Amino acid sequence: MKEITILYKVFEDKTISWFQNKNEYAVLENTTAVILKKLNKGIPINEIAKTLSDELDVPLEKSINFVLELEKKFFPQENSEKLEIANNYKNAERPKDFEFIKYYKINDIVFKISFLSDKELSFVHPKFAHLVIDEVPDFKNEFEVFINHNYIFLYVNNVFIGSWDNCNIHYFQGKFSMELIQKIHQKEENDWLGVFHASAISNGEKSMLFLGDSGNGKSTSLALLQANGFTCLADDFVPVDAKKQEVYSFPAAISIKKSSLETLLPIYPELETTAEYNFKRLNKIVRYLKPNNNDFLAHLPCHDLVFIKYEKDAKLTCKKISKIDAFQQLVPDSWLSPKKENAQIFLDWFEGLNCYQLTYSNNEEMIKTVTEIFNNDL
Amino acid sequence: MMKKQMKNTQDISRKDALKKIGSYGKYAALTAIGTYALLNPKKAQASSLSSPGTGFLNRIK
Repeated sequence: MKEITILYKVFEDKTISWFQNKNEYAVLENTTAVILKKLNKGIPINEIAKTLSDELDVPLEKSINFVLELEKKFFPQENSEKLEIANNYKNAERPKDFEFIKYYKINDIVFKISFLSDKELSFVHPKFAHLVIDEVPDFKNEFEVFINHNYIFLYVNNVFIGSWDNCNIHYFQGKFSMELIQKIHQKEENDWLGVFHASAISNGEKSMLFLGDSGNGKSTSLALLQANGFTCLADDFVPVDAKKQEVYSFPAAISIKKSSLETLLPIYPELETTAEYNFKRLNKIVRYLKPNNNDFLAHLPCHDLVFIKYEKDAKLTCKKISKIDAFQQLVPDSWLSPKKENAQIFLDWFEGLNCYQLTYSNNEEMIKTVTEIFNNDL
Repeated sequence: MMKKQMKNTQDISRKDALKKIGSYGKYAALTAIGTYALLNPKKAQASSLSSPGTGFLNRIK
């Protein structure tokens, strides 16, 4: 059996392993992780099974079966199939004329983005409309977005980035955002630890991530907090770098669902007249709120992950949760770098985080609690 | 339709329970260490507002 690259990290009473061949994480019992280590080193199955059998006082035959099962599961012999999920290259001619050409200014960096029609525009522009400036002759980066034969294409500075079919528009949007942050922050894909489906706020010195299922109130909490002295760093797409494990700004607007309007209109009267967009298949109607961040180059350390949940009439509760629980919620909803060094940094970074579950219905109490978490007063 | 009434009147001690399952009890340790969770991050960066099948975005006003 050929040795594969596996990283191990003990959290609480479990071991988290990372498998480089699949960029996959596993939460294992410590004993099981030791068996995997031995299997990977090429120690004979009989030998491993004998130790296990003595340790657990189970028949040798049962231990052998157990170790064989683990080997089958974690060290498959066949070549893993290459899954090409989001990026299907299709030859297509680049259009000469684009119906919409927009200029966006992010700090001092100007992006010229050309959209073939209003359809392409609708996939990108609403979240960035607050950054639009008049046409300028000098721009640093040029993006082109066009649909051809049911594939949406992205070119950045005349380089083909990818093409996605109708079912993978969310991956097109993700890649677009990734290209954008790479140009803003001067980083390549390998320089990022991951991108988290979260909201990020800062108090000017450090940042905090809000996580949770869609509809739990991440963006609404972010909007409430940015009206109360905190800065919005990112909504929905939160990049963290590998070098210093800091949360980086992402300049998109905050998406506000229709159900949150009642809460937010008194604070943001501009939402009354803001354009409304209907994501029919998701049954979501949203308006976009401009983030209060005035430095989109900002990046700050993050020590706290908060799984937030707005629950009508709920009494505020905020408690630390196990890292294992937090890890299991975080990973499937994130893009994490497949690079070994970055996976190790991610595990080390995660080890140092405080993870909380915050449930609330009273906005003032939520803001007070977030302030306390920032000040380490909880 | 008749609802089947299930009534469990038999009390059983831990000792009796272990006796009943016999040698299978020993393998609980194997079952316990063989329980694991596999977690796969997303294969590419994604936005959350469009999901598979969402081809169109409609502006209401």
